[in-house]
Amino acid sequence: MDNEQREILEVDFLFVGAGPASLAGALHLKSLTKEKYPDLSIAIIEKASEVGAHSLSGAVVDPISLNELFPNLSNEDFPFEHEVKKEYMYYLTKKSKLSVPFIPKPMSHHGCYIASIGKLTRWLEQKCEEAEIDIFAGFPGSDILYNENTVIGIRTGDQGIDKNGEKKPNFEPGVDIHAKVTFFGEGSRGSLTKQLINKFNLMDGKNPQNWAIGVKELWQLPEEKLPQGYVAHTLGEPLGHSLFGGGFMYSMKNNILDLGIVVGLDYKNPHIDPHHELQLLKSHPWIKNILEGAEILAYGSKTLPEGGIYSLPKLYVDGAMLIGDSAGFLNGQRLKGIHLAMKSGMLAAEAAKIALDVNDYSEIQLMNYDTIFKESWAYKELYKVRNFHQGFEKGLIYGMANAGIGLFTGGRGFGIYNKLSSDDGHIHMEKPSTSFDKYDGIEYDGKYILDKLTDVYYSATSHDEDQVAHLHVNDPSICIDKCKEEYGNPCQSFCPANVYEIVDDGEERLQINFSNCVHCKTCDIMDPYQIIDWTTPQGGDGPSWKNM
Amino acid sequence: MKICVLVKQVPNEDAVIKISPNGSGIIEDNLTFCTNEPDTYALEEALQMKETYPDSEVVVCTLGKNSASQILKEALAKGADRAIFINDNTNYNDPLSAAKVIANVLSKESFDLILSGLQSDDDGHGQTGLLIAELLNMTHASLVVGTEILDKKIRVKKELESGWFQWAEMELPASISIQSGLNKPRYASLKGIMGAKRKPMDNLERSQIEITDVDNVKLENVYLPQKSKETHYIEGDTDEIVAGIIKVLKDDIKAI
Repeated sequence: MDNEQREILEVDFLFVGAGPASLAGALHLKSLTKEKYPDLSIAIIEKASEVGAHSLSGAVVDPISLNELFPNLSNEDFPFEHEVKKEYMYYLTKKSKLSVPFIPKPMSHHGCYIASIGKLTRWLEQKCEEAEIDIFAGFPGSDILYNENTVIGIRTGDQGIDKNGEKKPNFEPGVDIHAKVTFFGEGSRGSLTKQLINKFNLMDGKNPQNWAIGVKELWQLPEEKLPQGYVAHTLGEPLGHSLFGGGFMYSMKNNILDLGIVVGLDYKNPHIDPHHELQLLKSHPWIKNILEGAEILAYGSKTLPEGGIYSLPKLYVDGAMLIGDSAGFLNGQRLKGIHLAMKSGMLAAEAAKIALDVNDYSEIQLMNYDTIFKESWAYKELYKVRNFHQGFEKGLIYGMANAGIGLFTGGRGFGIYNKLSSDDGHIHMEKPSTSFDKYDGIEYDGKYILDKLTDVYYSATSHDEDQVAHLHVNDPSICIDKCKEEYGNPCQSFCPANVYEIVDDGEERLQINFSNCVHCKTCDIMDPYQIIDWTTPQGGDGPSWKNM
Repeated sequence: MKICVLVKQVPNEDAVIKISPNGSGIIEDNLTFCTNEPDTYALEEALQMKETYPDSEVVVCTLGKNSASQILKEALAKGADRAIFINDNTNYNDPLSAAKVIANVLSKESFDLILSGLQSDDDGHGQTGLLIAELLNMTHASLVVGTEILDKKIRVKKELESGWFQWAEMELPASISIQSGLNKPRYASLKGIMGAKRKPMDNLERSQIEITDVDNVKLENVYLPQKSKETHYIEGDTDEIVAGIIKVLKDDIKAI
């Protein structure tokens, strides 16, 4: 067991992961408590070297939560790119595009803003600093601390362990941070959240979470090729009708184009490669034309929880609450999660304030989070689209029909069912009966159409090579003995960063290039045997994104 | 002992550098920044000296734009006692200008020792620490891979070429630039970060520093290194390949 002498840091409230949910939650908690409890200590830990460096999103942001959090500021004060002015939905065929003439109001982005989540989190960090909230960047949460079945805090990762697990001269043991309440805001498929959900069976009676992966690139356009506030979403090519997802294109400040694709992590064919799908999207004549003369700036990837309200876990246990993407606060139909993530953090903060008033941090008090959520606009918004994602399990046409009927029936599935069920995404994978040649025709030119390693370079990702790999494959013998035959090692395809590679140096084996990892968590989700555990690497390692 | 460590904020080493279209410099919008890695070894060396001589004071100093104060906070979190921030947006094109500004500030205090990293990862001049020594009338040494404090003196181990080293004894005060890799820089601890908030940081605006004769070097153009490497395949049987190689060595690169 752990014999390390560890420092203990006592705080009142601890947020794990400095994304929009935690930053908004901490700020709201501070403002709720500052008069009655002026000495309250609130801390946020973040695994990235700086806040925002691991933040990635589309993003088109609904400002509703920012307006609630900063009643004295207006939308012009927030670090947005542009207000959405022109929005389009296209259905792409191989060579051309068809414009969907009418975008239903609930799916419209009117009144929303194109934004970089990296800029937004850095801006919120400033606000937290002004509010005297402690933010510790470069400190991953590596373990949950319990007193019997009560969460009492987390342990930060050890620094300075070599690849054999031995201490280096600059070894710095992780610290035990104790808190009255720990808020898990780790983002999609949080590594501690996963442990918490399993330990307390928080998904019992819920639909399993359904994830998608988003892969995106930022491009510097040579001149203003798209109007300010331009938002386009695409269906059809290259995903076709059997894969859930679509492309997106937003215009940012200084003629930067935000271009990406979302692919549902419930596909059948193990050869599907989300990175390659993005390259196919860029090979479409319309997008090729837009990119003419452009230069790539950045690349990244992240998973997103698409399951909706029926896939939300139980949100609280003794001493802890789940917020943001860690819980699954995302509206798949509106393609938005940031406003809901922020709201969930704020709602959890309100529950924490009630608990503070009675000095009881057990479930009995923290269940107020659930109660307050059900009375909020966030619940109403998610309830209306409660069956959106489930419809797509049968493909695009079913999904669109279901979504369409849902719009008129307040969210009923196929107009009749109040609740559609769903199942885990990874179980859909099956051995293809025909050979797969979808990506054979991709013409990598090193300028516009980029292979995976080139793209990884643009993610500015680095990990200290002298550490134990943070991706744990619990039984690597399965990779060669079983997976190769049954699925053809899909890890080599679904990973957008070339982390997984089957090499043959006399004997076939799985090589884990962990230093490429962009922290998207796709492997942890999509591995058909569920034997990959994504854990936190050394603090500060990973991508260094600026405006993603 | 009063030790000053010079640190600099530079683009993250994994950052993808883009040049502005008019060649006036690099585009910083998409970059993340960090402490110049060679400087982290200088800081570590200073902190280890303080461990040996606990009544020493370690002061970190940087010259840079607003965001550069971040690297001072990091140094304070690792154990430096106080910081001097020279807030200056100027991109000095020559190391002498930067050295003059820094030396002017440091001359207000009497440091026994100034440590700096060997060079910066961005400009790579490798001169600032030594120029400051000249301006402040200190002894100096570069490429230092080991230090030993003696009474009023310092012994330094300098890297020469081909694996040779030189030990030299120098009078204090001295300015020494440290070779990377001589120690393992420590990580900031959580307690260190909390403690850093209470440590003093002097904020100096450029206008407060009375130095005028600087920034005389004009930058003409910034461009990425041109790729000039070419690969030639010499084909044929062994004799033809040998003849081909000899021809290249003789005529093209004139090595034989």
